[in-house]
Amino acid sequence: MKYKDYYATLGVDRTASAEDIKKSYRKLARKYHPDVSKEPDAEERFKEVAEAYETLKDPEKRAAYDQLGRHAAGQDFRPPPDWEQRFGGAQTIFEDIDLADLFAGLAGHRRGAPRGERAARSGPDYEAAVRLSFEQAFHGAEIELDLSALEYDDQGVPHRVPRQVKVRIPKGVVDGQQLRVPGKGGKGMNGARDGDLYLDIRVEAHPLYRVSGQDLYLDLPLAPWEAALGTTVHLPTPAGTVALKVPPGTRAGQQLRLTGRGLARSGGTPGDLYAIAQIVVPGVLDERQRALFKELAEASNFNPRTHFEAETNREH
Amino acid sequence: MNIEICEAFHIDERGELSFAQLIEYSGLPEGELRELVAYGALAPHDPTAASWSFDASALTVARTAQRLCHDFELDANAVSLLLTYVERIRNLEDELRALRAGVVSGR
Repeated sequence: MKYKDYYATLGVDRTASAEDIKKSYRKLARKYHPDVSKEPDAEERFKEVAEAYETLKDPEKRAAYDQLGRHAAGQDFRPPPDWEQRFGGAQTIFEDIDLADLFAGLAGHRRGAPRGERAARSGPDYEAAVRLSFEQAFHGAEIELDLSALEYDDQGVPHRVPRQVKVRIPKGVVDGQQLRVPGKGGKGMNGARDGDLYLDIRVEAHPLYRVSGQDLYLDLPLAPWEAALGTTVHLPTPAGTVALKVPPGTRAGQQLRLTGRGLARSGGTPGDLYAIAQIVVPGVLDERQRALFKELAEASNFNPRTHFEAETNREH
Repeated sequence: MNIEICEAFHIDERGELSFAQLIEYSGLPEGELRELVAYGALAPHDPTAASWSFDASALTVARTAQRLCHDFELDANAVSLLLTYVERIRNLEDELRALRAGVVSGR
Protein backbone atom coordinates (compact mmCIF):
# COMPACT_ATOMS: atom_id res chain seq x y z
CA MET A 1 0.00 0.00 0.00
CA LYS A 2 1.24 3.50 -0.86
CA TYR A 3 1.53 6.04 1.90
CA LYS A 4 -0.21 9.42 1.58
CA ASP A 5 0.79 12.27 3.84
CA TYR A 6 -2.59 13.77 4.68
CA TYR A 7 -1.12 16.33 7.07
CA ALA A 8 1.23 17.68 4.38
CA THR A 9 -1.67 17.75 1.87
CA LEU A 10 -3.62 20.02 4.23
CA GLY A 11 -0.50 21.97 5.18
CA VAL A 12 -0.90 21.36 8.92
CA ASP A 13 1.28 19.94 11.63
CA ARG A 14 0.69 16.38 12.87
CA THR A 15 -0.34 17.83 16.22
CA ALA A 16 -2.84 20.28 14.66
CA SER A 17 -6.18 20.66 16.43
CA ALA A 18 -9.44 19.61 14.77
CA GLU A 19 -10.28 23.30 14.40
CA ASP A 20 -6.98 24.05 12.60
CA ILE A 21 -7.54 21.09 10.28
CA LYS A 22 -11.02 22.36 9.44
CA LYS A 23 -9.74 25.90 8.83
CA SER A 24 -6.97 24.69 6.55
CA TYR A 25 -9.36 22.44 4.62
CA ARG A 26 -11.86 25.26 4.11
CA LYS A 27 -9.15 27.57 2.84
CA LEU A 28 -7.90 24.97 0.36
CA ALA A 29 -11.45 24.00 -0.65
CA ARG A 30 -12.16 27.62 -1.57
CA LYS A 31 -8.99 27.67 -3.64
CA TYR A 32 -9.38 24.36 -5.48
CA HIS A 33 -13.06 23.38 -5.52
CA PRO A 34 -13.98 22.74 -9.18
CA ASP A 35 -17.22 24.74 -8.82
CA VAL A 36 -15.41 27.92 -7.81
CA SER A 37 -11.77 27.57 -8.91
CA LYS A 38 -10.15 28.50 -12.21
CA GLU A 39 -6.79 26.91 -11.30
CA PRO A 40 -5.69 24.50 -14.06
CA ASP A 41 -5.19 21.47 -11.77
CA ALA A 42 -8.01 22.41 -9.39
CA GLU A 43 -9.99 19.18 -9.65
CA GLU A 44 -7.01 16.94 -8.94
CA ARG A 45 -5.81 19.09 -6.07
CA PHE A 46 -9.29 19.27 -4.56
CA LYS A 47 -9.63 15.47 -4.62
CA GLU A 48 -6.38 15.16 -2.64
CA VAL A 49 -7.44 17.82 -0.15
CA ALA A 50 -10.92 16.31 0.32
CA GLU A 51 -9.49 12.82 0.78
CA ALA A 52 -7.08 14.06 3.45
CA TYR A 53 -9.86 15.94 5.26
CA GLU A 54 -12.29 12.99 5.16
CA THR A 55 -9.79 11.04 7.26
CA LEU A 56 -8.36 13.72 9.52
CA LYS A 57 -11.69 15.30 10.50
CA ASP A 58 -12.86 12.02 12.02
CA PRO A 59 -11.12 11.25 15.38
CA GLU A 60 -11.32 7.48 14.90
CA LYS A 61 -9.99 7.56 11.35
CA ARG A 62 -7.30 10.05 12.33
CA ALA A 63 -6.13 7.77 15.18
CA ALA A 64 -6.00 4.80 12.80
CA TYR A 65 -4.08 6.90 10.28
CA ASP A 66 -1.61 8.09 12.93
CA GLN A 67 -0.96 4.45 13.83
CA LEU A 68 0.58 3.99 10.40
CA GLY A 69 3.55 6.09 11.50
CA ARG A 70 5.51 8.46 9.29
CA HIS A 71 6.58 7.56 5.78
CA ALA A 72 7.50 9.50 2.70
CA ALA A 73 4.50 10.30 0.46
CA GLY A 74 4.15 7.58 -2.19
CA GLN A 75 6.35 5.12 -0.29
CA ASP A 76 5.19 1.48 -0.08
CA PHE A 77 4.54 0.39 3.48
CA ARG A 78 2.90 -2.41 5.43
CA PRO A 79 0.21 -1.46 7.97
CA PRO A 80 0.63 -2.59 11.60
CA PRO A 81 -0.86 -6.03 12.52
CA ASP A 82 -3.94 -4.72 14.32
CA TRP A 83 -4.90 -2.93 11.12
CA GLU A 84 -5.34 -6.28 9.40
CA GLN A 85 -7.90 -7.30 12.02
CA ARG A 86 -9.68 -3.99 11.81
CA PHE A 87 -9.92 -3.76 8.04
CA GLY A 88 -9.88 -7.29 6.73
CA GLY A 89 -8.47 -10.36 8.38
CA ALA A 90 -5.22 -12.22 8.69
CA GLN A 91 -5.29 -13.07 4.97
CA THR A 92 -5.91 -9.54 3.75
CA ILE A 93 -3.44 -8.39 1.14
CA PHE A 94 -2.99 -4.66 1.34
CA GLU A 95 -0.85 -4.21 -1.75
CA ASP A 96 -3.50 -2.96 -4.20
CA ILE A 97 -5.59 -1.13 -1.63
CA ASP A 98 -5.98 2.62 -1.68
CA LEU A 99 -5.75 4.27 1.71
CA ALA A 100 -8.82 6.44 1.04
CA ASP A 101 -10.98 3.41 0.14
CA LEU A 102 -9.89 1.68 3.31
CA PHE A 103 -10.91 4.61 5.49
CA ALA A 104 -14.20 4.96 3.63
CA GLY A 105 -14.72 1.24 4.37
CA LEU A 106 -14.04 1.89 8.05
CA ALA A 107 -16.96 4.33 8.10
CA GLY A 108 -19.13 1.65 6.46
CA HIS A 109 -18.24 -0.97 9.09
CA ARG A 110 -18.84 1.51 11.86
CA ARG A 111 -22.33 2.27 10.60
CA GLY A 112 -23.43 -1.12 11.80
CA ALA A 113 -23.65 -4.35 9.96
CA PRO A 114 -20.91 -6.92 10.52
CA ARG A 115 -18.87 -8.00 7.51
CA GLY A 116 -20.67 -10.39 5.23
CA GLU A 117 -24.10 -9.19 6.40
CA ARG A 118 -24.00 -5.69 5.07
CA ALA A 119 -27.20 -3.87 4.16
CA ALA A 120 -28.12 -3.13 0.55
CA ARG A 121 -26.23 -0.04 -0.58
CA SER A 122 -26.31 1.71 -3.98
CA GLY A 123 -23.03 1.78 -5.85
CA PRO A 124 -21.19 5.10 -5.87
CA ASP A 125 -21.43 7.38 -8.90
CA TYR A 126 -18.20 7.86 -10.83
CA GLU A 127 -17.16 11.00 -12.67
CA ALA A 128 -14.74 11.16 -15.58
CA ALA A 129 -13.47 14.09 -17.64
CA VAL A 130 -13.77 13.56 -21.41
CA ARG A 131 -11.96 15.74 -23.92
CA LEU A 132 -13.45 15.76 -27.42
CA SER A 133 -12.44 17.37 -30.67
CA PHE A 134 -14.98 19.72 -32.24
CA GLU A 135 -15.66 17.10 -34.93
CA GLN A 136 -16.35 14.39 -32.32
CA ALA A 137 -18.75 16.71 -30.52
CA PHE A 138 -20.54 17.58 -33.78
CA HIS A 139 -20.86 14.07 -35.22
CA GLY A 140 -20.96 12.06 -31.98
CA ALA A 141 -18.23 9.57 -31.12
CA GLU A 142 -17.35 6.29 -29.50
CA ILE A 143 -14.71 6.68 -26.83
CA GLU A 144 -12.90 4.28 -24.52
CA LEU A 145 -12.43 5.16 -20.89
CA ASP A 146 -10.07 3.56 -18.43
CA LEU A 147 -11.67 3.71 -15.00
CA SER A 148 -10.39 2.69 -11.63
CA ALA A 149 -13.41 0.84 -10.24
CA LEU A 150 -13.98 0.12 -6.58
CA GLU A 151 -14.81 -3.53 -5.83
CA TYR A 152 -15.09 -5.40 -2.54
CA ASP A 153 -13.61 -8.84 -1.93
CA ASP A 154 -15.32 -11.60 0.10
CA GLN A 155 -14.10 -10.04 3.31
CA GLY A 156 -15.58 -6.68 2.39
CA VAL A 157 -12.19 -5.11 1.76
CA PRO A 158 -12.18 -2.49 -1.03
CA HIS A 159 -9.85 -2.96 -4.00
CA ARG A 160 -9.24 -0.76 -7.03
CA VAL A 161 -9.76 -2.70 -10.23
CA PRO A 162 -9.04 -1.33 -13.71
CA ARG A 163 -12.19 -1.27 -15.84
CA GLN A 164 -12.52 -0.30 -19.46
CA VAL A 165 -15.78 1.20 -20.66
CA LYS A 166 -16.72 2.07 -24.22
CA VAL A 167 -19.21 4.92 -24.42
CA ARG A 168 -21.21 6.29 -27.33
CA ILE A 169 -21.31 10.08 -27.05
CA PRO A 170 -24.42 11.55 -28.70
CA LYS A 171 -23.91 14.16 -31.40
CA GLY A 172 -24.25 17.81 -30.47
CA VAL A 173 -22.62 17.84 -27.02
CA VAL A 174 -21.14 21.16 -25.93
CA ASP A 175 -18.29 22.25 -23.72
CA GLY A 176 -19.13 22.09 -20.01
CA GLN A 177 -22.05 19.70 -20.45
CA GLN A 178 -22.46 16.62 -18.29
CA LEU A 179 -23.63 13.28 -19.67
CA ARG A 180 -24.90 10.30 -17.72
CA VAL A 181 -24.11 6.65 -18.41
CA PRO A 182 -26.61 4.68 -16.33
CA GLY A 183 -25.33 1.77 -14.29
CA LYS A 184 -21.65 2.24 -15.08
CA GLY A 185 -20.61 3.60 -11.69
CA GLY A 186 -19.61 1.46 -8.73
CA LYS A 187 -21.29 -1.89 -8.04
CA GLY A 188 -24.27 -1.80 -5.70
CA MET A 189 -23.99 -4.04 -2.65
CA ASN A 190 -26.38 -6.79 -1.66
CA GLY A 191 -28.83 -6.25 -4.50
CA ALA A 192 -28.85 -2.43 -4.52
CA ARG A 193 -28.56 -0.62 -7.85
CA ASP A 194 -25.21 0.13 -9.49
CA GLY A 195 -24.08 3.76 -9.51
CA ASP A 196 -23.98 5.88 -12.65
CA LEU A 197 -21.03 7.25 -14.56
CA TYR A 198 -21.09 11.00 -15.18
CA LEU A 199 -18.97 12.43 -17.98
CA ASP A 200 -17.75 16.03 -17.79
CA ILE A 201 -17.44 17.09 -21.41
CA ARG A 202 -14.69 19.40 -22.64
CA VAL A 203 -14.71 20.33 -26.33
CA GLU A 204 -11.61 21.74 -28.00
CA ALA A 205 -12.00 25.05 -29.79
CA HIS A 206 -12.15 24.93 -33.62
CA PRO A 207 -10.11 27.35 -35.72
CA LEU A 208 -13.16 28.31 -37.84
CA TYR A 209 -16.33 27.70 -35.85
CA ARG A 210 -17.31 29.43 -32.63
CA VAL A 211 -20.01 27.81 -30.51
CA SER A 212 -22.87 29.44 -28.64
CA GLY A 213 -25.42 26.98 -27.29
CA GLN A 214 -26.24 24.80 -30.29
CA ASP A 215 -25.50 27.58 -32.82
CA LEU A 216 -22.23 27.95 -34.72
CA TYR A 217 -20.64 31.14 -36.03
CA LEU A 218 -17.91 31.62 -38.58
CA ASP A 219 -16.38 34.66 -40.25
CA LEU A 220 -17.09 35.09 -43.94
CA PRO A 221 -14.45 37.35 -45.52
CA LEU A 222 -15.77 39.11 -48.64
CA ALA A 223 -14.07 41.40 -51.15
CA PRO A 224 -15.79 44.83 -51.37
CA TRP A 225 -17.17 44.09 -54.84
CA GLU A 226 -18.52 40.69 -53.66
CA ALA A 227 -20.36 42.41 -50.81
CA ALA A 228 -21.68 45.15 -53.12
CA LEU A 229 -22.66 43.01 -56.10
CA GLY A 230 -23.49 39.74 -54.35
CA THR A 231 -21.86 36.41 -55.03
CA THR A 232 -21.98 32.69 -54.32
CA VAL A 233 -19.24 31.28 -52.09
CA HIS A 234 -18.23 27.78 -51.10
CA LEU A 235 -18.76 27.79 -47.36
CA PRO A 236 -17.29 25.06 -45.15
CA THR A 237 -19.75 23.65 -42.60
CA PRO A 238 -19.03 20.77 -40.18
CA ALA A 239 -21.36 18.57 -42.25
CA GLY A 240 -19.72 19.48 -45.59
CA THR A 241 -19.23 22.37 -47.96
CA VAL A 242 -22.32 24.24 -49.13
CA ALA A 243 -22.88 26.94 -51.76
CA LEU A 244 -23.96 30.12 -49.97
CA LYS A 245 -25.62 32.91 -51.88
CA VAL A 246 -24.46 36.28 -50.58
CA PRO A 247 -27.06 38.93 -51.46
CA PRO A 248 -26.02 42.23 -53.12
CA GLY A 249 -25.44 45.05 -50.64
CA THR A 250 -24.25 42.80 -47.80
CA ARG A 251 -22.88 44.87 -44.91
CA ALA A 252 -19.94 44.07 -42.65
CA GLY A 253 -21.16 42.23 -39.53
CA GLN A 254 -24.34 41.03 -41.24
CA GLN A 255 -25.19 37.45 -40.23
CA LEU A 256 -26.26 35.04 -42.95
CA ARG A 257 -28.13 32.14 -41.39
CA LEU A 258 -27.96 28.53 -42.51
CA THR A 259 -30.87 26.87 -40.75
CA GLY A 260 -30.19 23.54 -39.06
CA ARG A 261 -26.47 23.53 -39.85
CA GLY A 262 -25.45 23.93 -36.19
CA LEU A 263 -25.06 21.34 -33.48
CA ALA A 264 -27.71 18.67 -32.97
CA ARG A 265 -30.03 19.26 -30.02
CA SER A 266 -31.20 16.50 -27.71
CA GLY A 267 -34.89 15.96 -28.47
CA GLY A 268 -35.22 19.09 -30.61
CA THR A 269 -34.31 20.85 -33.82
CA PRO A 270 -30.59 21.40 -34.42
CA GLY A 271 -28.97 24.79 -34.01
CA ASP A 272 -28.16 27.11 -36.91
CA LEU A 273 -24.89 28.19 -38.50
CA TYR A 274 -24.28 31.91 -38.94
CA ALA A 275 -21.77 33.26 -41.45
CA ILE A 276 -20.75 36.76 -40.36
CA ALA A 277 -19.80 39.00 -43.29
CA GLN A 278 -16.42 40.63 -43.02
CA ILE A 279 -15.36 43.10 -45.74
CA VAL A 280 -11.69 42.67 -46.59
CA VAL A 281 -9.81 45.08 -48.86
CA PRO A 282 -6.74 44.03 -50.81
CA GLY A 283 -3.52 45.12 -49.10
CA VAL A 284 -1.75 46.06 -52.32
CA LEU A 285 -3.31 47.48 -55.48
CA ASP A 286 -1.69 47.47 -58.90
CA GLU A 287 -2.02 50.49 -61.14
CA ARG A 288 -5.14 49.36 -62.95
CA GLN A 289 -6.96 48.39 -59.76
CA ARG A 290 -6.10 51.73 -58.19
CA ALA A 291 -7.48 53.51 -61.26
CA LEU A 292 -10.69 51.50 -61.12
CA PHE A 293 -11.20 52.29 -57.43
CA LYS A 294 -10.60 55.99 -58.16
CA GLU A 295 -13.12 55.88 -60.94
CA LEU A 296 -15.62 54.25 -58.61
CA ALA A 297 -14.97 56.86 -55.89
CA GLU A 298 -15.60 59.67 -58.38
CA ALA A 299 -18.74 58.07 -59.77
CA SER A 300 -20.25 57.26 -56.39
CA ASN A 301 -22.08 59.66 -54.09
CA PHE A 302 -22.28 57.03 -51.36
CA ASN A 303 -21.47 58.41 -47.92
CA PRO A 304 -21.18 55.78 -45.20
CA ARG A 305 -20.88 58.49 -42.50
CA THR A 306 -24.10 60.45 -42.90
CA HIS A 307 -24.87 59.85 -39.22
CA PHE A 308 -21.71 61.83 -38.29
CA GLU A 309 -22.93 64.95 -40.02
CA ALA A 310 -25.22 66.30 -37.31
CA GLU A 311 -22.33 66.17 -34.84
CA THR A 312 -19.64 67.62 -37.13
CA ASN A 313 -21.98 70.42 -38.32
CA ARG A 314 -22.58 71.45 -34.71
CA GLU A 315 -18.83 71.92 -34.18
CA HIS A 316 -18.41 74.22 -37.18
CA MET B 1 -11.15 -8.07 -25.64
CA ASN B 2 -14.74 -7.33 -26.55
CA ILE B 3 -16.06 -4.34 -24.62
CA GLU B 4 -19.76 -3.61 -24.50
CA ILE B 5 -20.72 -0.15 -25.80
CA CYS B 6 -22.82 1.93 -23.41
CA GLU B 7 -24.94 4.92 -24.34
CA ALA B 8 -24.31 8.30 -22.72
CA PHE B 9 -27.38 10.47 -22.27
CA HIS B 10 -27.96 14.17 -21.85
CA ILE B 11 -29.08 14.65 -18.27
CA ASP B 12 -32.27 16.42 -19.37
CA GLU B 13 -33.14 13.70 -21.86
CA ARG B 14 -35.22 11.79 -19.33
CA GLY B 15 -37.72 14.67 -19.39
CA GLU B 16 -39.11 14.34 -15.89
CA LEU B 17 -37.90 12.96 -12.56
CA SER B 18 -39.95 11.82 -9.62
CA PHE B 19 -38.92 12.95 -6.14
CA ALA B 20 -37.79 9.40 -5.33
CA GLN B 21 -35.56 9.36 -8.44
CA LEU B 22 -34.09 12.74 -7.54
CA ILE B 23 -33.18 11.40 -4.07
CA GLU B 24 -31.68 8.27 -5.59
CA TYR B 25 -29.63 9.94 -8.32
CA SER B 26 -28.49 13.07 -6.49
CA GLY B 27 -27.19 11.38 -3.32
CA LEU B 28 -28.91 14.02 -1.17
CA PRO B 29 -31.11 12.92 1.74
CA GLU B 30 -34.84 13.57 1.41
CA GLY B 31 -34.83 16.17 4.20
CA GLU B 32 -32.18 18.30 2.50
CA LEU B 33 -33.94 18.10 -0.86
CA ARG B 34 -37.17 19.25 0.80
CA GLU B 35 -35.25 22.17 2.32
CA LEU B 36 -33.84 23.09 -1.11
CA VAL B 37 -37.41 23.15 -2.40
CA ALA B 38 -38.50 25.28 0.57
CA TYR B 39 -35.69 27.79 -0.12
CA GLY B 40 -36.55 27.92 -3.82
CA ALA B 41 -33.39 26.28 -5.19
CA LEU B 42 -35.45 23.42 -6.65
CA ALA B 43 -38.90 23.88 -8.12
CA PRO B 44 -41.31 20.93 -8.44
CA HIS B 45 -43.81 21.17 -11.29
CA ASP B 46 -46.65 21.41 -8.79
CA PRO B 47 -45.52 22.13 -5.22
CA THR B 48 -49.00 21.29 -3.91
CA ALA B 49 -49.07 17.83 -5.52
CA ALA B 50 -48.99 14.76 -3.26
CA SER B 51 -45.91 13.42 -5.06
CA TRP B 52 -43.51 15.92 -6.57
CA SER B 53 -42.05 15.72 -10.04
CA PHE B 54 -39.24 17.84 -11.47
CA ASP B 55 -37.68 18.80 -14.79
CA ALA B 56 -34.78 16.45 -15.43
CA SER B 57 -32.44 19.45 -15.28
CA ALA B 58 -33.16 19.52 -11.50
CA LEU B 59 -30.68 16.64 -11.26
CA THR B 60 -27.82 18.96 -12.26
CA VAL B 61 -28.90 21.48 -9.61
CA ALA B 62 -29.30 18.76 -6.97
CA ARG B 63 -25.89 17.24 -7.76
CA THR B 64 -24.24 20.66 -7.53
CA ALA B 65 -26.06 21.20 -4.22
CA GLN B 66 -24.84 17.83 -2.96
CA ARG B 67 -21.24 18.73 -3.80
CA LEU B 68 -21.47 22.16 -2.19
CA CYS B 69 -23.21 20.78 0.95
CA HIS B 70 -20.63 18.06 1.41
CA ASP B 71 -17.45 19.82 0.32
CA PHE B 72 -18.02 23.16 2.07
CA GLU B 73 -20.05 21.77 4.98
CA LEU B 74 -22.93 24.16 4.24
CA ASP B 75 -26.58 23.97 5.23
CA ALA B 76 -29.43 24.02 2.71
CA ASN B 77 -30.07 27.75 3.17
CA ALA B 78 -26.46 28.68 2.33
CA VAL B 79 -26.41 26.23 -0.58
CA SER B 80 -29.63 27.70 -1.99
CA LEU B 81 -28.07 31.16 -1.92
CA LEU B 82 -24.89 29.86 -3.57
CA LEU B 83 -26.88 28.07 -6.25
CA THR B 84 -28.54 31.38 -7.15
CA TYR B 85 -25.09 32.87 -7.77
CA VAL B 86 -23.82 29.77 -9.59
CA GLU B 87 -26.85 29.98 -11.91
CA ARG B 88 -26.29 33.70 -12.46
CA ILE B 89 -22.62 33.10 -13.32
CA ARG B 90 -23.57 30.33 -15.75
CA ASN B 91 -26.09 32.60 -17.48
CA LEU B 92 -23.54 35.40 -17.74
CA GLU B 93 -20.94 32.98 -19.14
CA ASP B 94 -23.48 31.81 -21.74
CA GLU B 95 -24.23 35.42 -22.67
CA LEU B 96 -20.53 36.23 -22.94
CA ARG B 97 -19.96 33.16 -25.12
CA ALA B 98 -22.87 34.21 -27.37
CA LEU B 99 -21.50 37.75 -27.70
CA ARG B 100 -17.99 36.53 -28.46
CA ALA B 101 -19.26 34.01 -30.99
CA GLY B 102 -21.32 36.61 -32.83
CA VAL B 103 -18.51 39.11 -33.22
CA VAL B 104 -16.06 38.90 -36.14
CA SER B 105 -12.84 37.50 -34.71
CA GLY B 106 -10.67 39.40 -37.21
CA ARG B 107 -8.58 36.38 -38.15
